[in-house]
This record gives sequence, C-alpha cells and structure tokens, in this order.
Amino acid sequence: MTHDPDTRDLLTEARQVLLDSLAPGLAGEQKYQALMIANAMGMAIREIEQRSHGEPEATDRVLSQFLAGHQLPDDPLQGEQTLARALRERSLNGEDAELRSVLRGLTEARLRINNPGFLK
Amino acid sequence: MSSLADTFSNFVARQTGARSVRVIEFDKLSGGAIQDNFGLTLELEGGDRPGRQEFVVRQDAPSGVAESLSRPEEFRVLQAAFQAGVTAPEPLWLCEDAKVSGRIFYIMTRASGSASPRKLVKGDLTGEQRRHLVRRLGTELARLHTVRPPVEGLDFLDMPADGNPARSRVALYRGYLEKIGEPHPVLEWALNWLEDHAPEPGPTVLCHCDFRTGNYMVDGGELTAVLDWEFTSWSDPCEDLGWLCCRSWRFGADDREVGGVGDMEDLLVSYREVSGVDVDPAVVSYWEVMALVRWALIALQQARRHMSGEQRSLELALTGRLVAQREYDLLNQIPEWAEGQ
Repeated sequence: MTHDPDTRDLLTEARQVLLDSLAPGLAGEQKYQALMIANAMGMAIREIEQRSHGEPEATDRVLSQFLAGHQLPDDPLQGEQTLARALRERSLNGEDAELRSVLRGLTEARLRINNPGFLK
Repeated sequence: MSSLADTFSNFVARQTGARSVRVIEFDKLSGGAIQDNFGLTLELEGGDRPGRQEFVVRQDAPSGVAESLSRPEEFRVLQAAFQAGVTAPEPLWLCEDAKVSGRIFYIMTRASGSASPRKLVKGDLTGEQRRHLVRRLGTELARLHTVRPPVEGLDFLDMPADGNPARSRVALYRGYLEKIGEPHPVLEWALNWLEDHAPEPGPTVLCHCDFRTGNYMVDGGELTAVLDWEFTSWSDPCEDLGWLCCRSWRFGADDREVGGVGDMEDLLVSYREVSGVDVDPAVVSYWEVMALVRWALIALQQARRHMSGEQRSLELALTGRLVAQREYDLLNQIPEWAEGQ
C-alpha cells in the first residue's frame, strides 16, 4: 500500500509551514520550541531520504566487512554492538587506520541525519 | 510563592538579628534542573546586614541527580572556595532543618551580571576585554586549586582511585557507558585512548568540575561570580582547564579555545602567575578529550531520561542526537593530539 503524497513530502511541507508562517510570529520559549520541532522534523526527513537511497545498508556493509576481516561476528544488525564490545575487550588495535575510518564512517552517517552542517 | 518569600525572609531576619524585614523582590531564577534557585531582595532594619540586600536561595528541586553534591555539601565546598579567594557568591547560611521551608536550602549573596553564553560569546566585548576575562578565569582556577586535601569539613569528597584522576575517570565513564546500554564504538575507542595516554597525575586539588562558559557571571566584561559547584571533587587541576577549553563549550566560537572567549595561552599565563605552576598544554588537550567523552555521556544520560519516560522532553531527546557531534570531534581531536606527540 502506498500513500501519496508520501511521508517525506508531508513532513517537508509541515516543517516549511512551521518555519515560514508560525515561527516568525513567536518569541522567547515558544520560538525556541518551534525551532526544536523544525530541527526534529528535519532529522526525520533526512532519515527517510537516506533510507530510500540505501545509505544505512551501505554503512552496515562497510562495518560487516571490517568485522569479518578481524574474525568477529559480522551480523549487520549487531555490528555496532560487536564493534563496541571488541573495543571494550581491547581485541582491536586502536591505532589501526582502517578502524578509525570505519568509526568515522559510522559517525558521518549519523551526522548526515542529525546535523549535516557539522560535517566540515 | 509569597509564603515561601516570607519563610526565607523571616529566616534571614533571624540569622542577621534584624528588627524588621520587608520583601522587595522574590522570583524563581532560570537554569536549575537539579536545584531551585530563587532571587530574594530584602530591606533589613537593624542586625548585622542592615539596608537593601540581594540574596540567592538554593534548594533541591524535586528530581535530583545522583552524582551531584547535596546542598549541605555544596555549601561547604563553596565556603572552601570562597575562603581560598575564588570570586564566588559568599555562602551565608545553611538551613538543614527541612521543616523550615519543606527542603534543605542555603542562602548566598547575589552577583550582578549574566551567565548567558550567548550574551558573552556573541556579545560586544572588545578583544582586550576578552583577554582580560580569560586571564581572570586562569586566576580563579589557580586560586581554587590551592585547596588541597585533607580539608576539614570536606571529607565527603572522594579521593581519585589509585591517586590517578585520569584513570579513575576512565573507569567511571566506562561504567556510565555500560549502564546506558547502547553501543558507542567511538566512545569505547576514545576511552581506550584515554587509558593508554593518561599523563602523570598533577597534584590532587579541589576542582570545580563544571567550570565553563555558562557557569560564571560577567558584568561589563568583569567576572562577578563562579557558579554551580555541585560537581566539585578532588582531581587533577588540568581536568578543570580541559573542561573550560573543550570544543563543546565554545558556543560556536570554535577558534577561541577558552570557552569561546579567548586563547589558551593567556589562560595558562595567568594560571602560572598565580599558582607558580607551568601547565603543559598537551595535558590540557588530553583533558579536553576526556571532556568530550564526559559531555557525550551526559547527553546520552539526558536522552535516556526522555526515552525511559522519566521526563519526556523534546529538548532531552534532541540532546541525544548531539552525541554524534562529540564523537566526530573525538575522531578529529585524537589524531591531532597523537600526531603532536
């Protein structure tokens, strides 16, 4: 079943109404709250867009390959858990450039949703 | 509110021996998630503080944070800092009898100015005023760090495990992360790095542990009071310096290392002038990394309060989404530091 306009479109339009029509008339705490709502909606929109482009799967694949290459379980659904545990158990070399690159990839994927402007 | 104002004003009258007291102003101050802070302006007749007096009353809020000091502990820490010459509100009276107002509270003098980071960082201070303020911050920390254990009345403060504040923090933060129960590989990686690169500990001193822009008052470019002493503990002096300089407390002015106000060099020069201690900037950078981890963990704990239903809040939920920024900072800052060795 599909709904048109789709969720992304609905959220995008709703966020624009909030920012263009409602927020300018608000002040103080209410304005702050409106901007927080717009921020949360922006994250939801970007998350939907990234899912539609298969980006989470691509990030998971890189992590799975890294884990497999280090003889660790490579279940993509448990990837971050496995990586975190291996680091806690000190079974990975923290200076490894490939490890740092995987960590950067995971973090940048989150920032592309949470705050793309933070990526320099 | 008015009956609370009467309660506090009568308490002050008793403490000062005033013949009469009149409430001029009483209002709840912003910024206390863990405590309720009230501004109390009184006109006192007679006694040892006659005339118009401005106070702050600080008492526990309904929901506290387990890691923070109790009000009586905070009062004693504030006394120690004030006696050491730190520009802090003067702690006047502690009331441990909960029957008086319903909760334990203490009263201190009220400082002028604002603690707002936005006003300070984005405000119109001149370059010279900024430099002066940074030097003043170094002076305040140097004075605070003259307080060293043992101090009578401060025996509730724990000493760092094995005499090593850095390793002690790493163990504490691993525990926090474990309790949060969500995988954060970057934080695990950073904690490993912090464990492996822990510097030789400095002297164990009284540290504020939340000394940063937003927690000191400024009036016309002059520091008027260091606030919020509830996380004070015995630690390495560089923990305070690193927290103050941490990237997450620069409020958008990333090129001004000291709290978005000015340069670390000025901070360390004034710190040395007062303390006689030459601080190694690399050790401050190490503690900046520690600060990023701590900041991320606090943000995760706040998000947890929302997710568990303890305190549903959009602001707390969004705070959880800020953690990736600190993880990104860690990934950038750790190699920079390692290459600088």
